[in-house]
Amino acid sequence: MKYICWFNEIGRNDILKVGGKAANLGEMVNAGFPVPPGFAITIDAFEEFLESAKRRGKKAHIARIISKVDPKDTEELEKVSILVRDIVESTPVPEHIENEITQAYEKLCSQVGYENIPVAVRSSATAEDVPDASFAGQQDTYLWIKGRDEVIRHVVKCWSSLYTPRAIAYRAMKGFDHYEVSIAVIVQKMVNSRSSGVMFTLNPTNGDPSQIVIESSWGLGEAIVSGEVTPDRFAVDKVTGEIVERTVSPKTRWCVFRDEGGVVYENVPEEMQQKPSLTDEEIKKLSEFGKLIEKHYDTPMDIEWAVDRDFEFPESIFILQCRPETVWSRKKKEPVIKAKSGFDLIMSRATTTIKLRKT
Amino acid sequence: MSGFPDPLEVETPDEMEGWEEMYPPHYIFSEERAEWERRQFWYLDKIHAPDPMYPWDLIFHEAWQIALAQLNTRVFCIPPAQGVAQRIVGCYFYICAVEPPSEETIQKKAELFQKRAFYVFENYEKENLYEKWEKKFRELGEGVKNIEIPDLPTFEPDDRVFPEPRGYFTSYDLMEAYSKLIDSIYKAWQYHFQYLNLSYLAYLSFADVVRKLFPAISESTIGKMVAGADVVMFRPQEELAKLARLAVSLGDKVTSILKSDRSPEEKIEELSTFPEGREWLRDFEEAKDPWFYVSCGSGWFHYEGSWVNTLSVPFEYLKSYIETIEAGGSVERDIDEIHKKREELVKEYRNLIKNEDDRNAFDQAYDYVRRIYSYAENHLFWVEHWFHTIVFEKMREFGRLFVRYGMLKEVDDVFLFNRFEIPMIIEDLVTAWALGENVPPRAEYWKGIAEKRKKILEAARNWTPPPALGTVPEEVAEPFTVMLWGITQDKVSEWIKGVTYRPEEVTEIKGFAASSGVIEGKARVIRFLDEITEVQEGEILVCPNTNPSWAPVFTKIKAAVTDIGGLTSHAAIVCREYGLPSVTGTGVATQVIKTGDIIRVDGDSGTVTIVKRAGE
Repeated sequence: MKYICWFNEIGRNDILKVGGKAANLGEMVNAGFPVPPGFAITIDAFEEFLESAKRRGKKAHIARIISKVDPKDTEELEKVSILVRDIVESTPVPEHIENEITQAYEKLCSQVGYENIPVAVRSSATAEDVPDASFAGQQDTYLWIKGRDEVIRHVVKCWSSLYTPRAIAYRAMKGFDHYEVSIAVIVQKMVNSRSSGVMFTLNPTNGDPSQIVIESSWGLGEAIVSGEVTPDRFAVDKVTGEIVERTVSPKTRWCVFRDEGGVVYENVPEEMQQKPSLTDEEIKKLSEFGKLIEKHYDTPMDIEWAVDRDFEFPESIFILQCRPETVWSRKKKEPVIKAKSGFDLIMSRATTTIKLRKT
Repeated sequence: MSGFPDPLEVETPDEMEGWEEMYPPHYIFSEERAEWERRQFWYLDKIHAPDPMYPWDLIFHEAWQIALAQLNTRVFCIPPAQGVAQRIVGCYFYICAVEPPSEETIQKKAELFQKRAFYVFENYEKENLYEKWEKKFRELGEGVKNIEIPDLPTFEPDDRVFPEPRGYFTSYDLMEAYSKLIDSIYKAWQYHFQYLNLSYLAYLSFADVVRKLFPAISESTIGKMVAGADVVMFRPQEELAKLARLAVSLGDKVTSILKSDRSPEEKIEELSTFPEGREWLRDFEEAKDPWFYVSCGSGWFHYEGSWVNTLSVPFEYLKSYIETIEAGGSVERDIDEIHKKREELVKEYRNLIKNEDDRNAFDQAYDYVRRIYSYAENHLFWVEHWFHTIVFEKMREFGRLFVRYGMLKEVDDVFLFNRFEIPMIIEDLVTAWALGENVPPRAEYWKGIAEKRKKILEAARNWTPPPALGTVPEEVAEPFTVMLWGITQDKVSEWIKGVTYRPEEVTEIKGFAASSGVIEGKARVIRFLDEITEVQEGEILVCPNTNPSWAPVFTKIKAAVTDIGGLTSHAAIVCREYGLPSVTGTGVATQVIKTGDIIRVDGDSGTVTIVKRAGE
């Protein structure tokens, strides 16, 4: 297949082919981490879609329309975006590309074992996930998409998301060429998330590199990202493996799937609100993955994860995405203590008092 | 900051009237020193004295009050640190870290500290300072063992007269024996601190470094990095393991006797009747001194007993060790393994330090603490266990003498008198003896005092003293206060809570997250060891603090909460070993929680929540 790359066929050097997100999913799969199965539709597919022999010059045409827009004029941006996205979405998908996507989706279904499996369809841009130009969230993600027609419809939506007002403005601000940017699409089996969240391979509060901190909530991770709930927080000591902090917060809202497709926010059943959203063994297993991922990338990482209610532990644990931690990793260049002789350290302790009263 | 009672205004129950007479006058709060005393912060020292204080047992505290302080203020001169002062209120023991000295004194001390402490750290290994310490300390202890407490003869024997009359006789011998005993105790306690303050400082400075590098690290992990594997305190247990192995290798006849339900005396008797048994007894006798001179408790109190005089304890261990060996298990501590584990732990944390300067500081601080910290671990056996066992045994010899002459009813009544009063009893006794036939001492007077004091102590047991008195200071500089008693800002606020709020209104208390895990269950509040049989399977133990004699109860309970004790306290260590959640050092748990309350112990955050009050 020309336009399809399964995750195990790609790695972190394939950003130009499948975009940053997909390249990283491939990297994780090949490193042995439990990533939900799926495939990427390459940048070439998007180029072919807009730039086939029949439609030569379409992409350049679009770029010309956009480049005239003042990125600060939100009204104008909005108008242009609607116009351009309409052009993209009304463009028919070439049959050979449609066939490849259909075949790949059906193969994914047969791998999982039933028809019309729900998938997430999301964009994977070439400029995205670069540590310095955090482009995350600039393109759309569609959850719980079922059936070939819906998949293809949302692939096209992802393609057109290259031209959302935000994406246009961002590129203009950063000086990226509208013609040069391109986009790939990820189609990945949905995790039926019982719980999900983010894991940091250092303590984000104080930068302690000996801890893994996990934030977790019921349902899909969107609830945490959107700030709808205060997540539970667990800290694990990397060396001893002990759970050293456990803060269970009342979780009143969760994000769940609708049978007909898509997701919705709902109130969490009362009896679940105060319960920890992860078991001890899940916390420990996740933190083991955290350590391995940090080791693989050789830098502190932020990791998205989910626990699938349809699988038994430990097969239920999935890693969805990861990216290098930026705040503390940059700071830590300076020494905290500076080299001192053992006796200097004793001396400074011997002359220090301990405050007992807030003054 | 107010919140704690005025030390001079604490009211004690009427049944305790006269408690002040049991202790030396400088232990009592008084108008004479009220201004200074009110300015200090006094807290109940349940670590060293969970129960009402027996007058004679106070001697070790009297000795450490002087010795600890003198090291801080006059010898090694830890710049802002002064001593730890002591008082007694209603038979309970309070201590206070004295406020720092003047700026000028701090400066002068800093110079001396630099010179003197540096010398010790640099030469501790080179000059074999520990080995020299142990040698002289053991000589001191042997000296106490050899003190002779003679009986009063009807007539002095001939050899006291021929060939040259000795000049002084049994009355003097008895008085001198007691003086020697007291002098040795004071000397031993001066030795006790010889390197202790410095090893605590090294620990605290390492902990500072580690906490700066790993802001969220737990105290228990720091403890694990520093703890030694080859520590004298483990020797008694290791000797028992060896004796159990020997018994198994000698065959069924020996093991079946040791495993039987007979008393230790009967077992020894029976073993001495055949060659294998005698072989085992030979090793047993050899191990006894010094390794059975280990207290069944903390070593601080005469009533705790030691293995040598409570043989049922080591024999019970032997029985279970033999059973474990026969079932194919291991009873030995794998020192190499423990060593390796500690090194791996340190290495893994070290690997997480990315900056070279920081790694260097970590190495330096670790080197210093490893050099000297074994002192903190080893002195404990030699002083609190071995030496105290010898001392209590010697005092019981005096007790037996007093009972023989009707001065006291029971041997252990000797501990109902403080160390200054015993010479009066001796003097009364030897005076009567010297005066000749049919001259009575004031035996009824002494026995009367003993009876009265037993009642006062009993009443004190049923009284709950306030956790702290006086004024909270702005800062503490004394290393023991921080290290041993875990005094911190949070701790003090918690204690104030316990005083100012009505205990029944408190629903949450905080302490050290001593052992991880969260569990909910029924509380059982135990204030004294002899109530321990009340603990039911699956309950949560709530107590002032624990020591090794509480050990059996940990197999029954599902969590433990204590009033006092940090992350290296006995309860914390045992709970971690058994995997039970534990919160220590809450200050008020035994006052706030009642038996039957449903509580949730969160050993990760150090919180205890009262979920449901008993009877609600």
